[in-house]
Amino acid sequence: MIGALSCDDKNVLVGIQGSDDASVYWMDENRALVQTVDYITPVVDDPYMYGQIAAANSLSDIFAMGADVATALNLVSFDGCHHGPEVLAEILQGGQSKVIECGGVIVGGHTIEAPEMTYGLSVSGFVHPKKFYRNNTPRVGDVLILTKPLGMGILTTAIKADLLDIKNIEKTANILAQLNYQASLIMREFDVSACTDVTGFGLAGHAYEMSTDRFTLEFDFNSIPMISEAIEFANMGIIPAGTYHNMDYIKDKVEMKREIQDDILFYDAQTSGGLLIAVSQAHADKLLLRLKDAGYEYSAIIADVKSFGGKSLVLR
Amino acid sequence: MKIDCTNLPCPEPVIKTKKTLESLAEDSVLEVVVNSHSSKENVTRFAKNAGYTVSDEVLDDGITKITIVKGYECSIATNENDSELLNKTLFLKDDSIGDYELGSKLMVGFLKSILELPKLPKNIICVNKAVFLTTAPADSDVIAILKTFEQNGVQIYSCGVCLNFYKVEDELKVGVIGNAFDSVDMMLNSEGTITL
Repeated sequence: MIGALSCDDKNVLVGIQGSDDASVYWMDENRALVQTVDYITPVVDDPYMYGQIAAANSLSDIFAMGADVATALNLVSFDGCHHGPEVLAEILQGGQSKVIECGGVIVGGHTIEAPEMTYGLSVSGFVHPKKFYRNNTPRVGDVLILTKPLGMGILTTAIKADLLDIKNIEKTANILAQLNYQASLIMREFDVSACTDVTGFGLAGHAYEMSTDRFTLEFDFNSIPMISEAIEFANMGIIPAGTYHNMDYIKDKVEMKREIQDDILFYDAQTSGGLLIAVSQAHADKLLLRLKDAGYEYSAIIADVKSFGGKSLVLR
Repeated sequence: MKIDCTNLPCPEPVIKTKKTLESLAEDSVLEVVVNSHSSKENVTRFAKNAGYTVSDEVLDDGITKITIVKGYECSIATNENDSELLNKTLFLKDDSIGDYELGSKLMVGFLKSILELPKLPKNIICVNKAVFLTTAPADSDVIAILKTFEQNGVQIYSCGVCLNFYKVEDELKVGVIGNAFDSVDMMLNSEGTITL
């Protein structure tokens, strides 16, 4: 569907073609405008928390480009029949808290009344036209770092099924609400070649966007950070349909170097996931340390970038 | 037991399956009907992880029927008891129902009618003069009828003492020689005994 649209404008540095995280529009020799939009249905019951998570999810693409947030517009679809206005107020306050946290400002928005609740942001930011990170430009010899753990699709499904206790709901919500902002700032100090954020297509899907059959990304499955409760719930069959769709779509692009009993988390659809950063081997350990110090405690080096060897993704 | 989980969003099929299984006794069989790939995968994962035996069958219209046995058997138990037989015993103590020639005709008629039913009694016990039924001439109607019972899995027992008493112990054409102990055991363990 998207392929039918086109943007042949000389100022569009990154547009619809290719599946990058945000658009980049040249303004002058020092600045380009970065735009992205995203919204989600509720993943937790608490409205303030939901607002925070939805905002973090929307802001993430700006950070993945290595850009800075300037302004944001609220996009709300609110079920006023079943929820009072104070619920909407909490959602918006949660969202605003995250925009402020990364130096941005909410300048407006739009709300409609509808039976399905959704919230998110349309975000605008700025980046130097020669210093932003595309998602498909890793180099052979680089390694990949993931800054947040996998399992969020499974855990949010478990929350929907009332299977998670309050302690684990909070742990999940905190990971979801964590901004990729600081990680984005830190990575700019290192020799990073490409970056994307891991969201709805799962690690497998977004890694495929990074490789696009021009590189082989070889993952050390045991190094990939995953929430252990997510593994338990996956065994129980608490897996969202989106994760299965990802698996169906990407599975034939993956080569298994060894028998892995259950690799479903590789495909698990994430919300507000971490950054997947391609960085030179020489800088990888230092970057990892800085990320962990900044609160991205689950960060890990998870893959090697190799020249294309037949399959885009390899699990070992 | 069968539950319909078609068109239910994730994770409801698993939750519904879990709750239903919790309410069933050990070795129960639960059939779960789903119509999406993810529901089928999830319910199968759940049941296998719980240690149950799982199998599935694809039906028409994109529907899959998943069969779960709540137990730790290696093979799937069937849903019905002992295939097509009723857990009942037919206890015969005479070779006719009532007197005269009519009595014999009635007995043959009744046995023939039972064969028309969808399910047959598990056992037929013949005591006293009823052993004349199982020792009748090989080409008689009653032997043909009793052989049909046997072919359908019905156990036919003729009382040994009675066979000896009437000196027809060598004439047994169908079934086996039973004894009082086994006969009483059968009658007490079936859901009902019918005496003609």
